[in-house]
Amino acid sequence: MQRRITYFLVLALGLAWIFISADRSGESTSGRVPAPQQGFLAPEFELKSPAGEITKLSDLRGEAVLVNLWATWCPPCRAEMQSIEKMYQEYKEQGFTVLAVNMTYQDDPSAVMPFVREQSLTFPILLDETGAMAKAYQLRSLPSTYFIRRDGIINEIVIGGPMSEALLRTRIEDILD
Amino acid sequence: MIPFFRSVFASPRHFILLLAALWVGLALAEKRSERHNISRDVLSNLVYYGVFSYILGGRLLYALSNFPAFAKSPLSIFSLNIDLFDPVAALAAAVIVGSLFGYRQKLPLWSTLDALTPLLAMLAVGLSLSHLAAGTAFGSPTELPWGIELWNATRHPTQIYGLIASILIFSLLWFRPAASPAGSDFLLFTALSAGACLFLEAFRGDSTLVLGQLRLSQVIAWFVLAGTFVALERLRTVEKTQDKESASPA
Repeated sequence: MQRRITYFLVLALGLAWIFISADRSGESTSGRVPAPQQGFLAPEFELKSPAGEITKLSDLRGEAVLVNLWATWCPPCRAEMQSIEKMYQEYKEQGFTVLAVNMTYQDDPSAVMPFVREQSLTFPILLDETGAMAKAYQLRSLPSTYFIRRDGIINEIVIGGPMSEALLRTRIEDILD
Repeated sequence: MIPFFRSVFASPRHFILLLAALWVGLALAEKRSERHNISRDVLSNLVYYGVFSYILGGRLLYALSNFPAFAKSPLSIFSLNIDLFDPVAALAAAVIVGSLFGYRQKLPLWSTLDALTPLLAMLAVGLSLSHLAAGTAFGSPTELPWGIELWNATRHPTQIYGLIASILIFSLLWFRPAASPAGSDFLLFTALSAGACLFLEAFRGDSTLVLGQLRLSQVIAWFVLAGTFVALERLRTVEKTQDKESASPA
């Protein structure tokens, strides 16, 4: 009998705790804070293309964006570029775009454009010359890919590669929804 | 210390921690299996079948649920991307295959679950460590002095709270004397884990909310806790009845 009373008390306290600790402030909706993590607002960046044009992430609000951090010396980065290009061609009409950010500060800048031409890549290529973007995204491994929804929230992060077409397709369709 | 740990086991290397926990947990479960009248070999086979079906089931069911994407590139099913995986379906596959294996081997349910408990408790430790390494299951912002810097804010170290809870639960189960009735180890583990989740979820910053403000994990944990208490009571009632029957003169 005593044990049953204990069980009852524990459950009553548990129930009370659920209501006491209910999220009234909206702390669980982490999306308002910029951070390189799923569920957060993607950190802002403003980078130059090899042609000198400036692209700002927030200017693409309303589009589903794949941000891919890569380097020419990174074999999995090179290996997944064709799949990314194929997906870009397939989905760009639906409001999907790719920003392939080369980690120029740790790459050979003269190798970037020959690689882009060799692979016939048509999506925008950006250069992180100072490492500021890598720092903002707390880069630890290459490639790192961020799937960003139309509202600017990171929906999914894929660390490592090469990403398969099916993986890209499922994640892109998620952010296009 | 934490930044160093997070850089060494940064995603996707955090899976190493889960694999290590699986390995240590299985070794400990095997060591204790005889106590629950389950042969060491049978327990190992059960876990290997479970792990194999978890991996295979997670990938196959993911492919089935995303059939149009895989139909366009069928070779992706063999991709090394660990993200092409459905963890819930994987768990279901492991439970189904494990149950079928147990049924064929005529394993007693509660004793088998007791024998698996050290493995499950160690996996909970590994899961907390992998959350800490990957920065997932993060806490809500806090001004408490033990808050950690994570995702551009000082946050409750919920992964460390979880780690402490899981180590305490493991220690309690490992060092307590052999218990009866069969199933009590597993049910105690379930009750303590559900209780820890119910309490600690309050400090999380990534809770899924239901009914506007309630944290879904807490609601689920409360029902699991209630179910566990009912099961514990039922086991004790059955044990008492059996004791009375065996004590009464023929």
